[in-house]
Amino acid sequence: MSELTEVVPPKRKLKVKASSTPDRIFYGIATAAAYSTIILVIAIMFFLSLRAWPTFEKFGFVNFIFGSGWDNTLESPSFAIGPMLYGSFLIAALGVILAVPMAISIAYFIEFMAPKPLAKTTALLVDLLAAIPSVVIGLWGLSIFSPVGAHWGEMLHDAFGFLPMFENDADNFLRTPFIAGFIVAVMIVPIIASITREIFSQIDQDLIKASLALGGNRESTFRKVILPTAAGGIVGGVLLALGRALGETVAIFFVLNLVFDEVNWFRIVLPEGGAIASLILSKFAEATADEVSALLAAGVVLFAFTLLINSIASFIVVKAQPWRK
Amino acid sequence: MAVDLTPVERPKSAAPWTKISAQSKTLMFLASTVPAVIYLALLVVNNFDFMSSLLVVFLPMQTVASALVGLKIYGRRGILDGLLVVATLFLGSFVFVLLVSVLWSVVQAGFATLSPQFIYQNDVYVTPTTGLEIGGVGHAILGTLLVVGLSTIITVPLALATAVYLTETRGKSRGLIRTLLQAMSGLPSVVTGLFIYSMLILSGFTSYAGWTGSLALIPLMLPTVSRVAEEALRLVPAELRNGALGLGASAWSAFSMVTLPAAKSGLVTAVLLGVARIIGETAPLLLTTSLANKTNLNLVEGGISTLPTYLYGYVSLGYDTSIQRAWGAALVLLMLVGILFVAARVASSTKSAKKRK
Repeated sequence: MSELTEVVPPKRKLKVKASSTPDRIFYGIATAAAYSTIILVIAIMFFLSLRAWPTFEKFGFVNFIFGSGWDNTLESPSFAIGPMLYGSFLIAALGVILAVPMAISIAYFIEFMAPKPLAKTTALLVDLLAAIPSVVIGLWGLSIFSPVGAHWGEMLHDAFGFLPMFENDADNFLRTPFIAGFIVAVMIVPIIASITREIFSQIDQDLIKASLALGGNRESTFRKVILPTAAGGIVGGVLLALGRALGETVAIFFVLNLVFDEVNWFRIVLPEGGAIASLILSKFAEATADEVSALLAAGVVLFAFTLLINSIASFIVVKAQPWRK
Repeated sequence: MAVDLTPVERPKSAAPWTKISAQSKTLMFLASTVPAVIYLALLVVNNFDFMSSLLVVFLPMQTVASALVGLKIYGRRGILDGLLVVATLFLGSFVFVLLVSVLWSVVQAGFATLSPQFIYQNDVYVTPTTGLEIGGVGHAILGTLLVVGLSTIITVPLALATAVYLTETRGKSRGLIRTLLQAMSGLPSVVTGLFIYSMLILSGFTSYAGWTGSLALIPLMLPTVSRVAEEALRLVPAELRNGALGLGASAWSAFSMVTLPAAKSGLVTAVLLGVARIIGETAPLLLTTSLANKTNLNLVEGGISTLPTYLYGYVSLGYDTSIQRAWGAALVLLMLVGILFVAARVASSTKSAKKRK
């Protein structure tokens, strides 16, 4: 009887390189396309910074970003975006504050409350809201919502006017950061809602059932099981939405009164505010050569901030979904 | 006496907490309808301001009612339960109201403007105050189709090849490229407009034209298409691919004959979502194209109107009739988006997509 010997498979290297010509072309095209995205991003940064450089050189980074005033009629025009930058963040923060409860409610409704057909319809409606172009929402905000929002602002002022937040000495409640924040909220609700829903749907059902079986009710399950598990993802979604809110241009331009000289710190029902993206749009048409450079510099600042926020956001979203590798 | 210790068979989906008695159901129903009815009655009688009374009268009433029912059914901890339900439903329906308000205003005001000639005429003889009998968005529709079409033609191969690089190859920079795409998807649209403006127009290379607008839309469309396409390619089971490779197919034929057909509907969805993403973009086009009243089919030179810039232009004029035209354009734009939206749904729910799940 012959002895059985174990067959050792020959060690060999897996071929990494493409062998045939079509394969080489195939991989070549894919690689070229992928690297072109790198080139694209570098080109965006390069060309914007190139043209923006004179402004940064002339006014200094710090003065340009944190100073205030935008005037091209002076002998030596001065450009600074402090109020716009702060205004962008104020509006984005207002939008997020308004949008987060709505978005979480919708996500909770879709995932845990509604019967299946209703949940599907609601999810479809949320996607539909996300698909509406922002310029259309801007038009709605300008013609339909602004009067209503001004009325709400006035009511807030009447009821809580003693708080500095709701001060208004302009006797006019249109074109306020409050309205702009609300419009932004309408746009970012679907973003936060869909990410939250995604996270909710991935939560281990056993966790929820365990909580319910131990005598937890709807509310305590939500507060002690669902929210803590989903918190990371929700924060990531909120940051993504914040990035979108900072970049919002036309809709905010329609409904906000831009004030360049001073920062409106917190008086949200006063018709004074700012937004970098809208500044670019509003000054672009009649810009002088110096001013164009300043606008590009504002674009660079906006780009830098959104890039920062987005990278933090995607990092958090990825960390919060370990099952997605 | 021996105790019977054989385990009781548990029903598969044992969820005793979902069983609610009929009495409790009635109570829940009453709690959700009675406050609404009382509130509506008060509203009719007293002529309150809707929003403030909703917050000051209806919401507290509804909250108390739900808390009471929660208390009755679940005991003390049921109170918070009731509050959670009220908050969720109230905020959820608020978003629903917002959505309906947006859609309804566009449909209502848009249909008042819409007429056959509004679809096919252009605005050559139109001044801001001209009546709605003449003029329309014909040139803007064509402009949108041309500008968006050109960016689609450029972006789609690029984005699909990038997705292929991310899924089908073992390239070294996949992580970097994925990160860059993620970063690009958050790029403010006005920045891409500034980019093309500073690169091509400010440097005197070209003047405002349709193709500069198309280029400005590329960085916005690219991340959407490649991300969705990547997901679609990733959903193709590895066994299929390995099977083809194991049978001796080259990487290219395995991709073109196995992976591509399997992922087809997902890729179509990716393209449609990408187009839907950019079709309403306004800011980049405002910075890189100039408005025109006449039909311009030449992407290389001259002003070209698109639906979003048309809308923006007429809104900034500010006359009643010009706003009317803007609503009309909004309706047309929304219809285009709706068509894309439905098409993307249909494409992603075809047979092959269902099988994969």
